[in-house]
Amino acid sequence: MTPPLQTELRVAEGALLEVENLVTHFRTPRGLVRAVDGVSLGVERGRALGIVGESGSGKTVLSRSIMGLLPRHGLVREGSVRFAGRDLHDLNPKAMRSVWGREMSMIFQDPMSSLNPLMKVGKQITEPLTVHLGLDGQAAVATAVRLLTDVRIPEPERRLEQYPHELSGGMRQRVMIAIALACGPSMLFADEPTTALDVTVQAQILALLGEQRRDRNMSLILVTHDLGVVAGHTDDIAVMYGGKLVEKAPTKTLFTSMKMPYTEALLRSIPRLDQPSHQRLAAIPGRPPDLVNPPVGCRFAPRCPVAQDRCRQEEPPLRPAESPDHLYACWFPVGSPEHARATQGSQPVSVASPARGVEA
Amino acid sequence: MTLTDTPSDTVDRPVSSEVPPAAKRQRGRPSWGLWIGVVWLVTLTFMAVFADQLPFIRSTSRVKGAGNFAFGPGAEFWFGSDQLGRDVFARCIYGAQISLRIAVFSILTGLLVGGSLGLAAGYFRGWVDRLVSTVIDVLLAFPALIIALLIVQRTDSLQVSYPDTFGWLSRTWAITFVLALLAIAPLARIVRAQTMSLREREFVLAARSLGASNRRILVREILPNLVPAMTSVLFIGVAVLLVAEGALAFLGYSVKSPTPTWGLLVSESRQRIAEAWWATIMPCVMMFMTVLSFNLIGDRLARRFDIREATL
Repeated sequence: MTPPLQTELRVAEGALLEVENLVTHFRTPRGLVRAVDGVSLGVERGRALGIVGESGSGKTVLSRSIMGLLPRHGLVREGSVRFAGRDLHDLNPKAMRSVWGREMSMIFQDPMSSLNPLMKVGKQITEPLTVHLGLDGQAAVATAVRLLTDVRIPEPERRLEQYPHELSGGMRQRVMIAIALACGPSMLFADEPTTALDVTVQAQILALLGEQRRDRNMSLILVTHDLGVVAGHTDDIAVMYGGKLVEKAPTKTLFTSMKMPYTEALLRSIPRLDQPSHQRLAAIPGRPPDLVNPPVGCRFAPRCPVAQDRCRQEEPPLRPAESPDHLYACWFPVGSPEHARATQGSQPVSVASPARGVEA
Repeated sequence: MTLTDTPSDTVDRPVSSEVPPAAKRQRGRPSWGLWIGVVWLVTLTFMAVFADQLPFIRSTSRVKGAGNFAFGPGAEFWFGSDQLGRDVFARCIYGAQISLRIAVFSILTGLLVGGSLGLAAGYFRGWVDRLVSTVIDVLLAFPALIIALLIVQRTDSLQVSYPDTFGWLSRTWAITFVLALLAIAPLARIVRAQTMSLREREFVLAARSLGASNRRILVREILPNLVPAMTSVLFIGVAVLLVAEGALAFLGYSVKSPTPTWGLLVSESRQRIAEAWWATIMPCVMMFMTVLSFNLIGDRLARRFDIREATL
């Protein structure tokens, strides 16, 4: 696993990315889908933020909305996204294109489909280099070889001449990372970068991402449904549910003193080695909320073991906890008497050894 | 099951390299059809292109003593002779020149125009899509044959009335134009559908997230991925247009005699089919074999590239 986060490397220069009250709705025949509903977050240069939530919680839409990559058809997008001192909403498509790739880029879930099947790997890496940085053919190829070496691909010269289908899944994801890093972005979005890969490769890819982030003093937003993935590889974690941010804290704080029952449930649902075998996995009952008609009050209330009447009527605001930089949205957080009463008898989540280890 | 319970033999067991029998049969099936098609088309194209140079192909001029269907198919005249004493085989080959040229030119023109429309509609969606789709629907709603007849008549009279400006507009060009026009709508539809599915693919989004412009995405990401599908559509389309030319010829709206096309050859001698079957049947066989070849190749490619026939 990666060495602990080197927070001392951080330069104090304010947030690189500041998202304020971002709203992203889609007009569909069924009605307005509130995929992202008023999310605020900030990422400083060189830091890594994990966005966690189950399928349909709006985490992918959030990352694409921040980048401005969503199709405009039927899109309602409000709020502000400030990146490196300017509001991305104000930029015209042409200016946006010069931000994409050069200042922020993204890697995707499925490395099988995110490379053009008909273009050689080399061409796919050198193309952004020639377009954005104006490198000539030879310089671009040399840079591509260096990038492939950076992402630990053996025999980079030979790989340049291969087509994506000739590479393994992990190899393709490495190529994707190389492409995303090609123009030296200061912000990288990784949208479930390891979901389609097998576990050993997952760890390598995450380690690679962390290493590149530190080497390049780049910010990283790691979107995933797996708390185990973000545990060792992020500085902060934002938990999303039903299009809203429900808890946000430094990684260590989140694992030691989580407030939101949803976070607790997410952590509880990870299978662990120290559990006796043949035990049922703890699942969160119910389904994610319908984002066309979200429930009144707290969106997690219908599935929450702690939910009281107040939860079904009033929506809890995001408020600070005792520990610094820790925000949560819950009326009866972990540690409150109501929570204790509701979860009586059930095993408390041991935070001493969460799955795959928090190295903090 | 926890990790420690995993029996180690599942890890070490060699992965079976056996191909399931069904897949094997699919892959190993001899593609006779494909080869017949390729051989036929290559031979035919070769003969058509070098018709003037090849010693065994007569010119299409009359041969003395061969008039009035004097010869049946045999060593002298391979496909027999026709009413005016011309070699049917020679006319079939020269007819292939024109028939193939018309079909290929018109499908290519149709693909260029229809493909561009479909590409724009499928990629940009919105009002471009609505406009193009309406045009496609209108084109498809017209009865094809009637449009064809109208346009051929129009161009005929244009050519006669303004010989200076429209003198070049022979029937060959008029028919190419008409068939191209008719090919636009179906081709635009297929390209639009393919583009719509391609633009949602992740590698297109990835290219966009790297700052690629629309033009770059269209040219570098989408267009190359359309090529396989379009190749098979081209083959099947040529076959359809070959038959369409034959249909026009039957109505007397194909090229003017004595310029041979297969359709014209069939329609010219069909009244005398009872006494001289070869003059009608042989061009039919040529057309049949060619259409079959194009279809066999097109089908094979379509299956290879997984295109549903319903879209054609």
